[in-house]
Amino acid sequence: MSSQAFSPVHPNAATSDVNITIDTFVAKLKRRQVQGSYAIALETLQLLMRFISAARWNHVNELIEQIRDLGNKLEKAHPTAFSCGNVVRRILAVLRDEIEEVSMSTTVTSTTVAEPLISSMFNLLQKPEQPHQNGKNSSSMRTKTDYRQVAIQGIKDLIDEIKNIDEGIQQIAIDLIHDHEILLTPTPDSKTVLKFLITARERSNRTFTVLVTEGFPNNTKNAHEFAKKLAQHNIETLVVPDSAVFALMSRVGKVIIGTKAVFVNGGTISSNSGVSSVCECAREFRTPVFAVAGLYKLSPLYPFDVEKFVEFGGSQRTLPRMDPRKRLDTVNQITDYVPPENIDIYITNVGGFNPSFIYRIAWDNYKQADVHLDKKKV
Amino acid sequence: MSEFNITETYLRFLEEDTEMTMPIAAIEALVTLLRIKTPETAAEMINTIKSSTEELIKSIPNSVSLRAGCDIFMRFVLRNLHLYGDWENCKQHLIENGQLFVSRAKKSRNKIAEIGVDFISDDDIILVHGYSRAVFSLLNHAANKFIRFRCVVTESRPSKQGNQLYSLLEQKGIPVTLIVDSAVGAVIDKVDKVFVGAEGVAESGGIINLVGTYSVGVLAHNARKPFYVVTESHKFVRMFPLSSDDLPMAGPPLDFTRRTDDVEDALRGPTIDYTAQEYITALITDLGVLTPSAVSEELIKMWYD
Repeated sequence: MSSQAFSPVHPNAATSDVNITIDTFVAKLKRRQVQGSYAIALETLQLLMRFISAARWNHVNELIEQIRDLGNKLEKAHPTAFSCGNVVRRILAVLRDEIEEVSMSTTVTSTTVAEPLISSMFNLLQKPEQPHQNGKNSSSMRTKTDYRQVAIQGIKDLIDEIKNIDEGIQQIAIDLIHDHEILLTPTPDSKTVLKFLITARERSNRTFTVLVTEGFPNNTKNAHEFAKKLAQHNIETLVVPDSAVFALMSRVGKVIIGTKAVFVNGGTISSNSGVSSVCECAREFRTPVFAVAGLYKLSPLYPFDVEKFVEFGGSQRTLPRMDPRKRLDTVNQITDYVPPENIDIYITNVGGFNPSFIYRIAWDNYKQADVHLDKKKV
Repeated sequence: MSEFNITETYLRFLEEDTEMTMPIAAIEALVTLLRIKTPETAAEMINTIKSSTEELIKSIPNSVSLRAGCDIFMRFVLRNLHLYGDWENCKQHLIENGQLFVSRAKKSRNKIAEIGVDFISDDDIILVHGYSRAVFSLLNHAANKFIRFRCVVTESRPSKQGNQLYSLLEQKGIPVTLIVDSAVGAVIDKVDKVFVGAEGVAESGGIINLVGTYSVGVLAHNARKPFYVVTESHKFVRMFPLSSDDLPMAGPPLDFTRRTDDVEDALRGPTIDYTAQEYITALITDLGVLTPSAVSEELIKMWYD
């Protein structure tokens, strides 16, 4: 059914236009010109929409293969822009679900199904698979469903979801923040955290104090802006140096962090260095740590090698001018990994979850087959 | 027909095929039982399986692992009977495909190796406690992929499984060193991660394994080293032990009675222990990499659907 080889270059002239758009986006990713997982996710989806509109395929598996190739290309361009791979996988999952649904409805009528595969533990005792069934289905379902429409609808839904994520999180925010509480956030660049706090102030009229870590050197500007915005909303705000976190932690009621990516083990990559040490401090003082994350930040990857996921930036921010004759190494880590044991709860737009439950939410939205986009199916 | 003995059959399976795990041997023994007894009705079939399972569990002192196999088998039979009522077909399938289950179980180890190989990276020092085929197949696979890692193997007394693993790894050309069990604390700072197998995985996500696993787990937790369990999913068992005391064991965990026999070896005590889920970083199984809490979900999916 998918015997013909997929040509790496799209044969159609209409697709060359899309290829240019893809290359531009890849270049932008490589130069780190798109910043923030929100922007990256939305731009990826726009690109995906154009790509699917222009794509040509004989069988839906070819379409999936093409999307996977695109996803792989984007991931290679910016390996730590997780939201990009996440949304591609979400769309792939939508397509695969649709294929499954179609094949289910055809098999029920045509053949007597052996047993529905309920538990994967039963795989061991299952009857041997009958390969001839697949061939029969694929021919009958080829024409019926408009997969282009399915994928594009999936993309539209996902864009809607991503744009409305703060709404869902804010619903939960109100119950979590108490009057006269002191909160600390080490991720002032997170818009979700900002909206979370403002909503808690405005909707439920709570008075609370927010401590914002300075985030030297990469985030200082963001921290100042963040503090200003909070102050404008009548929230008592203090900008504190990163080194003061341990001293202040005994008075803090809750730590709220933003995330860049959340992995299946419940660990997270935050968009600011120093977050991990803040969470470590919080653990020392038994202060609860809340992580806010939109669903699109959930990644089906497993952080095998944390060093590979943590990003390092230019050192000019740590030490602006340096005489090259003097030997001095400067390191500027711009993201940080927080292990699952240092996070108490994830607040997502679909509810609050324990880190050990994140795997479940991830598998509700992704397919195991799409975890590694670079692996070709044989 | 009365001379069929489930325990003997079970032990014979284990003896004939050293690659076979206990739960699979249990399933095979039950398949053989069905073939020999050929029950006439569904009720008879269920009763035969039930009584044989009980007999088997009673006669084997370390029954955790085989219990998992019996559970899956029983559940599979019941589900098929209730849902489809086509029990003749189901029986036929079980009897005919005995060999298939064995090969699938072996394949699941290969799958674990594929999934788990990402956990091993160049320059790692890996501590292994006990000999588990799943762990070995993972290490073997990693070595085949030219990952350069080193292994520290504990002696794993009293069964001395460590020596077996040591020689296998040495044959494979993996740099390996053997240490006594009591040296784990002294070297834990030097190792990067810990791999262990499991005899059974409890519903809470904790594991039942060779004695000493618990202490290795506590030491790894204390030193903040990742502690990975490598195991096949057919070893998930519906038990909820809270500590090692809750495990089915031949004698009391501490036996103070005066020895009357003249055995030189004064060694007594448990041979298995329970490592609670809080010490486990992740379970590497054929279903993927699971957090301990995912185990209960797999079990619930099997029993309450």
